[in-house]
Amino acid sequence: MRSVRLTPYLFVAPFFVVFAAFGIYPLIYALQLSFMRWRGAGAAHWVGADNYLYLLTSPEFWASLGNSAVMWLLIVPIQVVAGLGGAVLLANARLRLRGLYRVAFIAPFVTPLVAMAQVWIVVFDQDHGPVNYLLNLAGLPDVGWLTSTVWAKPTLALLFLWKTTGFAIIILLAGLQAVPGGVYEAAALDGASRWRQFWSITVPLVRRSMAFLVVVQTLAVFQMFAEPFVVTEGGPYGSTTTAGLYLYEHITASDLGTGAANSFLLVLLVFGLSLGAVRLLRPKDEVS
Amino acid sequence: MNPTRPGVAQYVLLTLLALAFLYPIWWAISSSFKPAAEIITSPLSIGAPTLDNYRAMFADVPIGTGFANTALVLAVKGAMTMFFCPLAGYAFAKYTFPGKDLLFGVVLLTLMLPTLVLIIPLLLEMSALGWVNTYQALILPGSIDAFSIFWMRQTIAAIPDELIDAGRVDGAGEFGIFAKVVLPVIRPGMAALAVLTTMNVYNDFVWPVVAVNDTSHQTLQVVLATLAQNITGNRIGADFAAVWGELLAAGSIAMLPLLVIFVLLQRHFINGILAGSVKG
Amino acid sequence: MSTPPIARRGFLKGALGVGALAATGSLAACAPGGTGAAPSKLAAPSASASSVKGEITIWNRSGDLFKVFDAAIGKFRAAYPGVTVNHQAVDIDAKLANTLISGTGVPDGSFWDDAKIGGQAEHLFDLTDLIAPYRDRTAPYKLSVNTVGGKIYGVPWDLDPGLLWYREDILEDAGVDPAGLATYDDLVTAARTVKEKDPTTKPIHLDKDPFLGQLWLEMLANQQGTSLTDAQGKLRLDSAEYRRILTWIETAVKDGLVTHVPYLKPADVNTLDSGQQVFVPWAIWWSFAPQQLLKRTKGKWRAAPLPAWTPGGARSGAMGGSSFVIPAKAKNPELAWLLYEFLCFKEPGYTAVYGPNDVYPGGLSTSVPSFQPALDPAKPLFEPIEALGGQDLWKVAVEAAATIPAAAPIPWWWAQSVDYLGNNLQRLMEGKMTPDQVIAESGEKIQRNLIDRS
Repeated sequence: MRSVRLTPYLFVAPFFVVFAAFGIYPLIYALQLSFMRWRGAGAAHWVGADNYLYLLTSPEFWASLGNSAVMWLLIVPIQVVAGLGGAVLLANARLRLRGLYRVAFIAPFVTPLVAMAQVWIVVFDQDHGPVNYLLNLAGLPDVGWLTSTVWAKPTLALLFLWKTTGFAIIILLAGLQAVPGGVYEAAALDGASRWRQFWSITVPLVRRSMAFLVVVQTLAVFQMFAEPFVVTEGGPYGSTTTAGLYLYEHITASDLGTGAANSFLLVLLVFGLSLGAVRLLRPKDEVS
Repeated sequence: MNPTRPGVAQYVLLTLLALAFLYPIWWAISSSFKPAAEIITSPLSIGAPTLDNYRAMFADVPIGTGFANTALVLAVKGAMTMFFCPLAGYAFAKYTFPGKDLLFGVVLLTLMLPTLVLIIPLLLEMSALGWVNTYQALILPGSIDAFSIFWMRQTIAAIPDELIDAGRVDGAGEFGIFAKVVLPVIRPGMAALAVLTTMNVYNDFVWPVVAVNDTSHQTLQVVLATLAQNITGNRIGADFAAVWGELLAAGSIAMLPLLVIFVLLQRHFINGILAGSVKG
Repeated sequence: MSTPPIARRGFLKGALGVGALAATGSLAACAPGGTGAAPSKLAAPSASASSVKGEITIWNRSGDLFKVFDAAIGKFRAAYPGVTVNHQAVDIDAKLANTLISGTGVPDGSFWDDAKIGGQAEHLFDLTDLIAPYRDRTAPYKLSVNTVGGKIYGVPWDLDPGLLWYREDILEDAGVDPAGLATYDDLVTAARTVKEKDPTTKPIHLDKDPFLGQLWLEMLANQQGTSLTDAQGKLRLDSAEYRRILTWIETAVKDGLVTHVPYLKPADVNTLDSGQQVFVPWAIWWSFAPQQLLKRTKGKWRAAPLPAWTPGGARSGAMGGSSFVIPAKAKNPELAWLLYEFLCFKEPGYTAVYGPNDVYPGGLSTSVPSFQPALDPAKPLFEPIEALGGQDLWKVAVEAAATIPAAAPIPWWWAQSVDYLGNNLQRLMEGKMTPDQVIAESGEKIQRNLIDRS
């Protein structure tokens, strides 16, 4: 490492210029707006904490957080387990066609979200989608994948899982490949079972990658917007109105002050959740 | 690392999983070449291919404009990301300077800022600048993003200091070291960054929907998102199957560039992620 | 007058524009904006038709409708040779609200959903004086939705009367005389008769789309002379009229008389074609279904006026509709007015739109004009419809349209209220809520989340 007086500042300056112009300025503006009643046109007036109080006492606000929480439960634990499973399978150096499998798993990750969301509408259509067509062939009745409050969330979660689990596998694979092979050999010599090897060697060593994955996906799930916006428009009965979509609804209703207040509540929540996840998953030997 | 030879069960499991991941893509593309009515009546068949859905879709939606706009935004935004983010990442990885931790802390914090939070005020700012319905509105906000800097810092941190010092001994300037020593070494990481950036820009949806309401500036994702409505709104009695056919045609066409880029760069992309992800 | 005339997504887009860009005008200071200024009033141009000169930019929806208007505007050009009309196809839902507020690239006139006009009046010309000569002869419903604070902001265009669509063959088999369906109770009785004859039928269509369901509810309310809010914006959901509608729905559902499916999605088309659905109380624009979507039952559908809620009551209500607006920042508002006057109030104008044309050889039959002199049952603008067994839809529609009562301007938050009222209406149709619950719960939510937040 070297210190050269001005150079590093010049190197990082472009980011901070853009961030100041299109991050900090709007952020401060949004903070101010969150204490105002403003419909976009006409006079804005100061309402103190009213927007925040309104949201905190709105069943719809809590319902949107609840919907996001359920989405989180449907996505993150499954993805961590499936991602780890996939990574362990792929990590085997003697596996043939490894490259091909990796490409297959990550291909959904590079498909355009809006396009795939629309494909989801068709695939899970109650009357003519291929999924129900298959169910019918098997003698089972139609399922309202996107039209029943029971199934809409899992169906959207499946879209998210399908699209991003390949990415999770790669991230966890990176963690696994950092595990020196000799560790396993030593463990095998000691007579440790495969399961024991997995729990006492593999899991602790990918904790960091897992923490990274959980934080990134927690952020993504609580900001989830395009999936419900395109596929279900938040329905049926608001069951897929995620925190992100509910926030957007204030914008469409021109209730900009409330929208800004909702943004900050969401930031606090996401921030808290990420910190929590980092803390929980941090390897035990590390202090800070 | 795991020395046992994988069993048949492992191959079967992996193959089934791989098929499950690929099937929706295959289904969408193959169905888009079917006569629209057959998508509904026999969703799993593969019939005689036709381009009818594509013809109808091209007639109904300005998808060419969408592609052109996305390409333009991608070119400029991508170039900015690919230049400025490794540069900043390099500074954070290999220099010590007063305030570095604080500044890097800011970068990390912005990672957690939901895009939606900034939408309203950013839009107001664009209006005040007279930038609504302009390319700069699509390009500039978020053009040098925190995640890419964080990613590049991770990647560059793995470069041995000796390599950089050697460059310095050879008399290269600070920027010269970055350009001639650092960049060549992190090529896989750059490939990964290129794919990730392409995807992010390509998929960006919320901001373009809001910042641009003028058809001539709409990006591909916005065109896609309004497609179903445009079809049903423009033609009295557009039937359901036809709408699906056009949706699948548009979706397939939109997938193509990303899949091609990915297949071309996949080795670098995956290796780049493997190399850059959280180990350091 | 497209199908359906307003889509929810369109509302989202439009409203987004309002929310988003509305902001622009007064961003810098957050200071009290320009709402205090009195809206500009437009006066009639004095020159004669042959001498007026100038150029106007006119926005219309894209698609088939654009072609129809383009032909009609050709007739206007012939009548006013000095006026150059730059007719543009535009995604109005997405663009107009933003353009009005930002004030750049504003057209001289535009087509717009009636539901949008109330919220944007401050950006539009007050057309009260210009419309005055035609006022007495314009459908009261259209005047009422275009009137904000006593001033008229839109040139009333189409009227979309609700009709009772029914399967003629099935009613005949069941011995039901469609002419005898005078009240909604009669309709339920007829539905029971049909079902007794053929237990597989679920005769009455109820719509499963929350947005269209609420639009439909408003049609039934309008039929009784009410609407979601009064002219002052006060909620009037808790009323005998709404309770009557909701109770009727509840009865029909409990008796197993309804097919609850989303508007013209496959589940709807299939049950319409299979004979499961026999009655579809819906706007006139449903007419395109038998013409284009229903393959097996084409020719077997007919239209009648809606039943009345009370004996002798109005036999129709409006469901959707659009008008023409002239932005306050238009460069040549007088000329735009001349065009709209021609299209809406002059015989060659409205005849060119509704009469036989290249796009619709039999004429445009998805709505009727709102100018009453055009609505002569004996002088049809569009031709009898083959897919309705050659029925003279014009006559049925204009007779029904003549009974449509006035309503009130549609509140800006109408589309947002679908999350409450539209959804609860669906719950009622699924038997999960009672009429009183729908009224109480929707009313409370709309008041708290929409009206009180204004």
